[in-house]
Amino acid sequence: MKVELISVIALLLCLSIIGIEYILHYRLAEQQDEHSIREQNMTRRMTIRVDGILRAPTSSCLESELHAMSEDIGDDFEAYEIAVNILRELKEKRGDEKIDRLTTALQNEVDPVRIYAKMLESGDVYHKGYAMRRLADLGAEEFRDKMIEGLESKNRDLCYNAAMSLAQFGDVEHVSDYLMSIEDDRLYSGRIINEFFDDFKGSRAELAESLFEKCNDYMKSTIIKALVPYKIEEFRPMYLEGYAGKNFGMKVACIKAIAAFGNPEDEQLLQIAAQDKEWVIRAAAIRGLSLLETPSALKSVKNALRDKEWWVRQTAANAITSMDISPSDLEDILGGYDRFAADAVKAVLYKKIDSLN
Amino acid sequence: MTFLNAVRSFIIVFNYFCMAFTILLSIIYIIQMFVSLFRVRKNYSKNFSDDYLRYVDSNNLLPISLIIPAFNEQENIVQNIRSLMKINYPCYEILVVNDGSTDKTGELVIDAFEMHPIETAIRYQIPTKNIRGVYFSKKYPNLLFVDKENGGKSDALNAGINISSYPLFTCLDADSRVEKDALLKLSVEFIKDSRTVVAGGIVRIANGSKIVDGELKGFSMPKKLIERFQIVEYYRSFLSGRVFWSATNSLLIVSGAFGLFRKQTVIDVGGYKPNTIGEDMEIVVHIHRYMRKHKKKYKVVFNELSVCWTQGPMSFKDIRSQRRRWQIGLMDTLISHRVMTLNPRYGAVGLLSMPYNWIFELFGALIEVIGYFLIPFSLIMGELNMFFFVMYFLLAVMLGVILSEGSLVLEQYTHRAAMTARQSISISVYAIFENFGYRQIITLFRVEGILKYRKLRKTWGKIKRKEFEQ
Repeated sequence: MKVELISVIALLLCLSIIGIEYILHYRLAEQQDEHSIREQNMTRRMTIRVDGILRAPTSSCLESELHAMSEDIGDDFEAYEIAVNILRELKEKRGDEKIDRLTTALQNEVDPVRIYAKMLESGDVYHKGYAMRRLADLGAEEFRDKMIEGLESKNRDLCYNAAMSLAQFGDVEHVSDYLMSIEDDRLYSGRIINEFFDDFKGSRAELAESLFEKCNDYMKSTIIKALVPYKIEEFRPMYLEGYAGKNFGMKVACIKAIAAFGNPEDEQLLQIAAQDKEWVIRAAAIRGLSLLETPSALKSVKNALRDKEWWVRQTAANAITSMDISPSDLEDILGGYDRFAADAVKAVLYKKIDSLN
Repeated sequence: MTFLNAVRSFIIVFNYFCMAFTILLSIIYIIQMFVSLFRVRKNYSKNFSDDYLRYVDSNNLLPISLIIPAFNEQENIVQNIRSLMKINYPCYEILVVNDGSTDKTGELVIDAFEMHPIETAIRYQIPTKNIRGVYFSKKYPNLLFVDKENGGKSDALNAGINISSYPLFTCLDADSRVEKDALLKLSVEFIKDSRTVVAGGIVRIANGSKIVDGELKGFSMPKKLIERFQIVEYYRSFLSGRVFWSATNSLLIVSGAFGLFRKQTVIDVGGYKPNTIGEDMEIVVHIHRYMRKHKKKYKVVFNELSVCWTQGPMSFKDIRSQRRRWQIGLMDTLISHRVMTLNPRYGAVGLLSMPYNWIFELFGALIEVIGYFLIPFSLIMGELNMFFFVMYFLLAVMLGVILSEGSLVLEQYTHRAAMTARQSISISVYAIFENFGYRQIITLFRVEGILKYRKLRKTWGKIKRKEFEQ
């Protein structure tokens, strides 16, 4: 009897779970339908409004169209983003500067800061993070305190978004504090540093300097790598010192940074690095040498075509075709005994010539 | 004890075993579903604040090589390459590897994209069959066509890896379509966590859906019942199972139709195993084995928001061939890596995922089929109480419905439903009907795969699929 009772209870339980699932499914499907219809309608309406604005014959017509559009948008951030996307797509298609002016006019009329500020106040951590980023994009400095507050959050995503927003304002102090707080999390900090240096709107040198003062070697080398494209002259002595040191990660980062300058003064150092036992250093040195149009640099790049490491050979092949190489030198490589050097250069040339045609 | 008594006792014990097995499996599935429900909800919210689209202009995004192994794919190949050229990703190359096709696959690609042979340096990091030629197009500089001797899908993928230039690669089926932003969403997994070595996306059944240039433009209910059942089946398998295993970092399979890999890791494990049917599962299990053995930190993740569409088989003949191959692939991989099973050295993979796959995914089908015959037999023999039989049957069906319906709820949570509310509710009816016939037939095909393992494990099955609606 006991087992039978349990079976009946289990059956009833299953039936109720199925019932709940069906109700949930139905509600969610309905919500989805409503959302899709609303989005479609909004897109249609915004497209008509944008069209109306573009065709407005007088400035008062334009103003009234803008006002009507603003009323349609109200507090709805999705509607606002739909309108901005329509304008962006139009700009891509037509390349018309008028579109930029319209976007600014729309921003003035709608006041998106108000919409995102509302989201920042009432949303969950994910909405808060999103709102901070959008507010930073809009240059809403008055929310800086809220963003600094966000840095204290226990939620990692919110902290990241808060710091990213502060990076948009070029806030050296708080961004560097945030980056220091993740210093020991090597799996996380690598990409974060790259992203922050890419998006930082203030002085990258100042941010790097404030971090160099307190960070460990791993972070230092990651920052140096992130700074490579910006070629910050004032750090050159530090790069030279780092390359001469014993820390391998630092050596690699520094040689990459030195190579990026393409400075003739560094040729000797790059020539030595091109003979290093580590292929990463050799490849970076070859890239640096390729920026120098000297005969000795060309000779080293040619020699690297015979390197035992594939990546160095490939780097050299890519580099040599962008150097000022004479046709006879090129013929030597293509018809030479080194099959790989010839093949690598041929492959690069085929692609380059074809792409130019 | 007479022989008859022994048979009778065996039947009774087996009946109880079958019941316990079914209920245990259903409970595991339901736990998976609830864990997935929380993760899917969280991922959806996280995706909102992550704002993956901003990575389009980022220097941090890793370039990708898209490898398409093609063997006699003349119907779909050109259309598929054209759709891949429209994906939203800043830096990628497309490598079409023609694995000795005997139809016009090669000619069609070369003509359609105005390609010509080039001499190029190939870094043979993984041994493959001879590469006959590499073709390049000045019109489409990010497209390469590789012509090689026939060596199977794994060999074609290995050749693609050797020729590829970028640190990440994805293997795509010639008859699938990737959504416009799918690669972007998947590759963000590699940026967010540098331990990620494999990321898999969700594969959805395209039958009935209209996909234009990697965008879903509408859905109408597919005509055949078999196609409708597959829609429910795919939701269940991907949204419930894979999300759960990904949460425990013990996901053993990333769909062969759509997965993104860190190239160096695949090279380190020796590439795809040649002459295997389940190369997609084998490579992932091999990576787990290699990384855990060498005590390296790594992650195999599943991203339910990256979508790839595939046309499901439309006849029982084709679905039989497909499921047999899947089962053989599973068995082959489990046997090849059996040392990992219950081995604490391999962590959750060895202690949870491998035993689960042996017991429930591989032998589960066998037990289920024996149960189909023995339980009614024992009922006729009077060895089973009618009440228990009915209860057992109802419970098994209801647990199945809970799971399938739960996956449809998950689908709604991901906000990916292409269907209207009415279509979505009507498809959920098939979550009930699939338990009466379809599920049993599929189980029989799986068992056939186990029984014909030795005979079929090196053969290839070609499935006739519907073309994508344009």
